[in-house]
Amino acid sequence: MTRASSAIFEAKRANPATPEPVVRCQRLSKSIDDRSVLREIDLQVGAGSYLALLGANGAGKSTLLKIVATLIPATSGEIELFGNPLSHNSASVRARIGFIAHQSMLYRDLSTRENLEFYAGLYSLKNARARVRRMLEMVGLSGRANDPVKTFSRGMVQRAAIARALLHDPDLILADEPFSGLDAPSIESLERFFSELHVAGKTIILVNHDIDQSLRLAERAIVLRGGRIAVDSPTYRLYPREVLSEVSA
Amino acid sequence: MTGSIAQFQLLTAKDLKIEARSRQTMSLVLVLGVLIVVVLGLGLGTTNNVAGFNAMAVLWVAYLFSGVLCFEKTMAVERNDNVLAGLMMAPLDRGLIYLSKLASNLILMLAVAAVVTPAGILFFGFDLSAAPGSFAAVMLLGILGFAAIGTLFSAAVSSTRLQGGLLAMMVFPVSLPLVVVSTQLMIRTFRDGQAPGLSGIGILVAFDAIFLVVSWMVFELVLEP
Repeated sequence: MTRASSAIFEAKRANPATPEPVVRCQRLSKSIDDRSVLREIDLQVGAGSYLALLGANGAGKSTLLKIVATLIPATSGEIELFGNPLSHNSASVRARIGFIAHQSMLYRDLSTRENLEFYAGLYSLKNARARVRRMLEMVGLSGRANDPVKTFSRGMVQRAAIARALLHDPDLILADEPFSGLDAPSIESLERFFSELHVAGKTIILVNHDIDQSLRLAERAIVLRGGRIAVDSPTYRLYPREVLSEVSA
Repeated sequence: MTGSIAQFQLLTAKDLKIEARSRQTMSLVLVLGVLIVVVLGLGLGTTNNVAGFNAMAVLWVAYLFSGVLCFEKTMAVERNDNVLAGLMMAPLDRGLIYLSKLASNLILMLAVAAVVTPAGILFFGFDLSAAPGSFAAVMLLGILGFAAIGTLFSAAVSSTRLQGGLLAMMVFPVSLPLVVVSTQLMIRTFRDGQAPGLSGIGILVAFDAIFLVVSWMVFELVLEP
């Protein structure tokens, strides 16, 4: 990832016209097959914040992220994104969200350029070709832009996935275990990139299993346990050992 | 509206581009369709083909099985690497995902029918010259309805492990009205010399319209990223 990446995204931090939280959940619950995955979650995420969602497997982190991403509905409770109830005009809300997961959401048989141009079309981006070119430069894939994604290494696929997720300059970035399967240089590069996005004023919600890394990167951490919020605190007040005991309790 | 049309075109063109590049679906589906015609043709024999009834039945069997394989394969493209989630997060009416997938399935199915149908006609010595237009219209409407159902159910079962088997079990019973009506219309046309008429075609059109509208409306509910 190049260091100039933050220049590609519009700086939102200086804009005072968005006082409402980017994400607001009230008594949010989700059941899957009669099993409660999330229980009455109350959560507010302010604009420009960097939040780490931690918890053991099955704690409900990814489910919460999918609900915020509008991919699955909540069973009960309310959720607002950018001040809008989720059911209201959710297509325009979705246009302001970027989702990075450990799965790339890219077509293997298409090249990175074709994938990005396809998504640029779906998002009706202006100057799509120029935007795609800049994103490819940003993630360092210009030289392989025309190669099918199926020929890429895991690290390259993840960089292409980041380009896809950020192509439309989203205000809210949801990242579900984005570091999984990456080698050390790729992890360092991706960490730096998230920090640059944070500096550019993007709101980031990161689901992660690495407690040390999460506390180092994010400014606020939430630990989910049994579908409930067990800890919600600024990261500077938390110690990894303390968080680990909460996660595994 | 213009945006939706552009998005629909993008989604459909993407499906066809992937298929043209990988040829994963067409090659398998074509071989399966032709094999069904040949195997059933050899089993039933070509001498007992009353007014093309065997040919019609065998063609429908070929369309049904190759169609299920086609729907399953085209939906698997969206399941790989969870691309479906990427589509669902895009600012588009999710019904467009259904309509574009239906369009690509229909194009692939018609391409298969363009090969399988002449094979069946030649194999069974079925004389189409009496009413080729009626035959084409009835089969086209039948395939459209079948693709409408198959596209919906392929999305519904693609997140399960059973997939192909379950898809066939769900799609075949629902497609039964289309198969029965179109086969009856063809028998009347070729055995009794009666044109299908507006009422016959109207029944097929009504089935297609119901399947299309209901599938489009419920598609978002069956999607599971």
